[in-house]
Amino acid sequence: MAGGGFDAPEVGGGKGSKHKQKKGAGVRIDMTPMVDVIMLLLTFFMLTTTLAAPQLMKISLPKGDTKDKVKVDMGNVLYVRCSDKGNVYFSSGKSDGSESELRKVELKNVASELEKLFALNNNLLLLLKFDRKMKYNVMADIFDEISRAKIEKRYAFLKMEEADFQKVTQAGG
Amino acid sequence: MKKVRDIRKPDIKIDMTPMVDVIMLLLTFFMLTATFKAAESEAIEVALPQSVYSDPDNKMKETDVLTLSLTKGGDIFVDVDNYKIREKIFGDQFAIGLFRPDTLTQSPVATTGKVGDKDLKRKVVIMNRAQFEKILVDLKNTLRSFSNNKNANFQVVIKGDKDTEYGVFEDLMASLHESDNKMFSLVTTIKADKKE
Repeated sequence: MAGGGFDAPEVGGGKGSKHKQKKGAGVRIDMTPMVDVIMLLLTFFMLTTTLAAPQLMKISLPKGDTKDKVKVDMGNVLYVRCSDKGNVYFSSGKSDGSESELRKVELKNVASELEKLFALNNNLLLLLKFDRKMKYNVMADIFDEISRAKIEKRYAFLKMEEADFQKVTQAGG
Repeated sequence: MKKVRDIRKPDIKIDMTPMVDVIMLLLTFFMLTATFKAAESEAIEVALPQSVYSDPDNKMKETDVLTLSLTKGGDIFVDVDNYKIREKIFGDQFAIGLFRPDTLTQSPVATTGKVGDKDLKRKVVIMNRAQFEKILVDLKNTLRSFSNNKNANFQVVIKGDKDTEYGVFEDLMASLHESDNKMFSLVTTIKADKKE
């Protein structure tokens, strides 16, 4: 492979070529045009390609009609409320229908807090009550935390009622 | 005679074979991984939220995807990847559905034809809540009639802008529930986990 070019097989006679060339002439193919074209193609594909495939977070809403009432033991309920400022509050329900004081939880600790609570009671149902004025981003973050927590995911989205607003405002908004 | 010429202007030949090899490899790689986006879908730009979590077995399908884009302004755009279905439902191959849950204000798209600061070059079909829910059902039925598969279904993905108000999403969830789309996915971009 002298010079790295393509070594052509011996050209069989013909055209009265000289004796020297018959022995093994190095035919060099000019690769420059090919490289040019390949470079163009490469640039094109590099610029048009989108590499990072989007991630998906699955959400499943409860099956059945909205009118269907599901009986839940209020003792197994964990309220997750979020204010319009993006503050997250936990409170646990009690069997008599009341609920505990709201406790502020940092967004980055939601997953670990959930794991702690589920270690005590594995049948917890998360009731998510988010302020309508809250940013979608915060919801995605909370959902990210819930998805990452190593717990059995049972959750329901509920509307934030007037009473919830008051509770959240009392706890610091 | 030859020696003298070599010194004056040495005949240097650069071997291009390894370079060509590498470029060929790169070219093959990019050609195989490339996925082309339809230019018309890019008009609706949303700044996606980030998430660490991603379902390992929940990937975006290549076809039969129903995309719901939530813009900062509070509009919900309904789009499917199949132009035949778009033509049947919206009456135009490149039409796109628009539903605005907030009935008190008007969508800027209806007046200016712009999403954010970009022109939306597609025909917009504006719907109210009842029409929106009907169209979600119609889309599914049309897909089933085209594919001869009674269980064919869209993968419903929601592309929400970070700064959309949650209320828009809440209304959207109510409509999805009403139209029997109880499984859907939020599209996010990758965030590195800083805790670990």
